[in-house]
Amino acid sequence: MAHVSVPMYWRTIPQRYQMVGYKCKKCGAVNFPPKGVCKYCQSSSDFEEMHLSGRGKVHTFVLISAGGAPPEFAEQEKAGGQYPVAIVELEEGPKVIGQMAETDPKTVKIGMPVKTELRKIYTEEDVIRYGFKFVPA
Amino acid sequence: MAVGISGYGVYIPRLRIKKEDYAKAWGSFSASGVAEKSVMGFDEDVLTAGAKVARRALESVPLGPEKVSRFAFASTTAPYLEKLLSGTILVSVGIPNTVLTSDHTTSTRAGTEAMLAAFEHVMGSPSGKAVVAVADAPKASMWSPVEHPLGAGAAAFVLSGDNLIAELEGHASYASEYFGERFKPRDDSLIHDLNVKKFAEGALISNTTKAGSALLKKLNRKPEEYQHVVIQQPDARAPGTVAARLKFTDAQLESSLVSKDLGDLGAASVPVALASALDSAKVGDRIMVISYGSGAGSDALSFKVVGDRRPADKVKMETDRKEYIDYVKYLKIKGAIV
Repeated sequence: MAHVSVPMYWRTIPQRYQMVGYKCKKCGAVNFPPKGVCKYCQSSSDFEEMHLSGRGKVHTFVLISAGGAPPEFAEQEKAGGQYPVAIVELEEGPKVIGQMAETDPKTVKIGMPVKTELRKIYTEEDVIRYGFKFVPA
Repeated sequence: MAVGISGYGVYIPRLRIKKEDYAKAWGSFSASGVAEKSVMGFDEDVLTAGAKVARRALESVPLGPEKVSRFAFASTTAPYLEKLLSGTILVSVGIPNTVLTSDHTTSTRAGTEAMLAAFEHVMGSPSGKAVVAVADAPKASMWSPVEHPLGAGAAAFVLSGDNLIAELEGHASYASEYFGERFKPRDDSLIHDLNVKKFAEGALISNTTKAGSALLKKLNRKPEEYQHVVIQQPDARAPGTVAARLKFTDAQLESSLVSKDLGDLGAASVPVALASALDSAKVGDRIMVISYGSGAGSDALSFKVVGDRRPADKVKMETDRKEYIDYVKYLKIKGAIV
């Protein structure tokens, strides 16, 4: 059983590969991922698509260790060891959750600058699911 | 119309394993002249590395991805045997969906094959901008000495008719029939090699020297007119053997000998080595490039350096940025423990 079906994952490619965000035409706040109604002013569903820079700062983070990883990430944890998952505040405003790559878990700090790049997230049903992770900027 | 390289980018994964770790595990290390090699992380593959270098190459010009009119991808280690590969990178980088893309995958010559396919596009359309991304991390059975030299790396080039760093002066190719050296049977994703060393070396020397000497003759050049010579690096010794046959010297190989620190980069061997030569080349220098792919074939390309603009991430910096792993960690990351 897949955690996320192939069509459902496919629909999120603009976010996972290209950091496409949605700027509310009423209040100007950037929604990422897309929402039916603006998460911030909760009174508009009129958005403008924009490419986010993928750059931001670590707002907070957690380290995932042995036994703590969800099943689709268990093999990654076994092969590579502990890995950080961060909530990053992007330059354009939204706070986004993602794994951190290229980072020694001991060196992660709140406020550290990061940027997104394409990585393998996990593989299910023999289909590689690609998407962004954060790496030190 | 003059065409050539307008920008380039490289990426070397940061993990390294030393030859001493192989010697500890197996009692020997079968990769002449290779001191250590680069290893891709668990969450990387040739498509993630290809996306990274394509972006870096565009930034080095700089050129917006929306301006690209041709995209070619090359690797011998595609994550799928059937499925378009270039689409993953095209979408990630933001290259228009309407450009012609091509995937070049069946031998380590694929890197120059992709470059020449892309050069044909810019020669045919004067305002064309082509991106060629080459990434590789070849795989073989851990039981085979063929596995020892296999490293990982990627390079991309922006090819066009303006804003040139290096102008393409000419190219020549040679293809022939060989078998038994470096091949993947239909149903295996690992490299096989019957390890008939003299036979394999003969195939390499024969094809590369024929492509190289044909190009020298075509351009009416002498070997000493080149400051840099870039030759396929299955290990750190083979390029010297080929160079000597063509009357090139070790000094001409020096700026591009990346295999001693990175191992065999497969289809990305010549592209990363060319980037290394470009990093240190001066305006007026000439660069001879000779690739090799088993089975067998070779492409030779001659460049004249005409610009001194260089990307932010140099091959040397990428090579120096590293973290060592031991052999057990290497096996885990490679998925070799089942």
